[in-house]
Amino acid sequence: MSLHLLGWSAVALYLGAEALAILSLVAPRVAAGKLTPVLVAAGLALQFADLMHRARLLGSVPYRTLGGSVSLFGWMLGIAFLVLFARHRERAIGPFLIPFVVLTSAAGLLLPDSGSAPAQGTHGSLFALHVTLAILAYAAFTFSFVLAVLYLVQSRQLRRRQTGILFARLPALEVIGRMNRTSVTIGLASLVLSLILGLVRAEQAWSTLRDPKIAWAFLTLVIYGFLLWMERRGWEGPRVALLSILGFGVMLFSYTIVNLYFSREHSFR
Amino acid sequence: MTAAGEARLVLLGWNFRTAALSVRERVAFSTDEVREVLDRIRGTGLVTEGVVVSTCNRSEIYGVSDGEGTNAALTRLISEWRGLDPDEAAAGSFQREGAEAARHLFHVAAGLDSMALGESEVLGQVRTALRVAREAGATRSVLHRMFESALAAGKRVRTETEIARHPLSVPSIGFELATKVFGNMDERSMLVLGAGDTGTLFVEQAREAGVSDLRIANRNPERAEVLARRVGGRVVPWEHVFRELPDADVVVGTTSSPEPVVRRRDVEAAMRERRGRPMFFLDLAMPRDFEAGVGDIYNVYAYGLDDLKGVAEENRVRRSREVPRAEAILEEDLARFLAWFGNLAVVPTLNGLQAKLAGLRDAELARVPAADRERFREFADAIAAKLLHQPLRRLKAEPDASRKLDRVEAVRHLFDLDE
Repeated sequence: MSLHLLGWSAVALYLGAEALAILSLVAPRVAAGKLTPVLVAAGLALQFADLMHRARLLGSVPYRTLGGSVSLFGWMLGIAFLVLFARHRERAIGPFLIPFVVLTSAAGLLLPDSGSAPAQGTHGSLFALHVTLAILAYAAFTFSFVLAVLYLVQSRQLRRRQTGILFARLPALEVIGRMNRTSVTIGLASLVLSLILGLVRAEQAWSTLRDPKIAWAFLTLVIYGFLLWMERRGWEGPRVALLSILGFGVMLFSYTIVNLYFSREHSFR
Repeated sequence: MTAAGEARLVLLGWNFRTAALSVRERVAFSTDEVREVLDRIRGTGLVTEGVVVSTCNRSEIYGVSDGEGTNAALTRLISEWRGLDPDEAAAGSFQREGAEAARHLFHVAAGLDSMALGESEVLGQVRTALRVAREAGATRSVLHRMFESALAAGKRVRTETEIARHPLSVPSIGFELATKVFGNMDERSMLVLGAGDTGTLFVEQAREAGVSDLRIANRNPERAEVLARRVGGRVVPWEHVFRELPDADVVVGTTSSPEPVVRRRDVEAAMRERRGRPMFFLDLAMPRDFEAGVGDIYNVYAYGLDDLKGVAEENRVRRSREVPRAEAILEEDLARFLAWFGNLAVVPTLNGLQAKLAGLRDAELARVPAADRERFREFADAIAAKLLHQPLRRLKAEPDASRKLDRVEAVRHLFDLDE
């Protein structure tokens, strides 16, 4: 089981889902498109079993190791994909979103899977929920980033009168914008809850709240909060997409550089 | 292609490639006339089944015949009836027999034989042709199966290829572009400037596509009123056009105004009021209705006639690239139909039936002691021969080719010979 057979089987299913999604994009075969979410759901079930196995070995949700954390991130991406699919029924975005599920899930299986002894205050269900929600927020923001890029691509194609197959297959700007809004809403709600839980735990366990991760999380919150506020006021278009991309950049920096080099309490070491 | 060398598929047609408009006009049939054609061609015994496909670009008579020279006789009949010179009618016609007649129908249904490659209307026209013929009692198993197969193949081609996906007409392209900005157009507001031919065409298309909030502005308000009443739109006084701009998601220019009707600064003001929500401008007028530079404003998508014509040309090329794939699909479905038609011959059906009975006999004989097997085999063969003798004799002797095909088809179906 240490070879992560279940995890790799899940990756294989995600790859299958991606192949079907591309096939459905290139040649609109109804049956192929319908099977894509089914394969993703099956992959999620297998990956969940793999995560549970890791959790049993670690004695906690597998966030303390880089491999476990990235794997959990991949799983959350899969969940976010299914939520988006169920909410908007838009098949054309599958080929662009599923690769992130494949890559992060595979990376989670390849990256180091051993962590140090749990730090102070990193036990209990509240803490587990804090981390899980944070990773769900990262997953939703990742898709918001992809959707923002797709928005800009489609907008550029419209402006340049490029009406090729990608133009024909990609959804309308309004639909991509709506999907982005769903992603940001999921991400923001998860991040707010995660922050609240994290702050409660930190106050109980740490002597200080001066962890750079908290500042970066607040910055991420402000950017995405501003984005939703803009949309509520009726703003839509490339500027909202650019803000999504900026928010993702900040989030990525917080998840990688800050975790690895600046934060003592949020490191994988 | 014949079944047992008896019944033959025939096709006589006139279309935009073969016949001048003056000839096509004479051989164009209304629905009532189609019924009359069907009565005439069957009444004279030229064909035993018939279907007539008559559209603005083609008149085609499909039939099942058991005689020779059917198409020449059909040409004479039609030219006499429609008062056409027989030589002129024959010169502008095209004729197909057997598999080629079926192949032509499959191409027609898929839109490969249309003036606008891949157009979808023809599928409905072929379906109507089959319905009219069926209601007139002019179809039996062969043409019914052939038309149903062609319709299914035409649908497959449109689903599995891109041939019908890229619009060709300027209003359709404009509408598709707007749809790519706003998605569902039902709840969008559209302001059309001008109530002439182009404006009317666009407004009708918008209404068909489900746009509920249609506003029409025209210098001459009566014309706008007439159009608005017809499509259920609202008239906007010409002098209030600028006031309406912020509420309009799509603005279409179709006037003959020598000066731009909408200036860049008007659009900038409208966009400020809309807080940057996207706007879509479609300029179908010549000279242009929207000032140059409107499309440079943030979140404004603007297209002119030249843009749309460019897209139309690209779409035409895209559609023609799909022809080989479409033809491969048609050939696949055509082969299935032709195999079925070929099997309708009496001899293969007879052989199939005998083989089926022999299989059943052998299966039962396996349960009989070996010593008695030969006796039982003779007994079973004698019963089978007697049982089949009369029905098969009648089948072979049937003089009406189509009725014979119907009966062969019934035998094949009842004894499951096509499985």
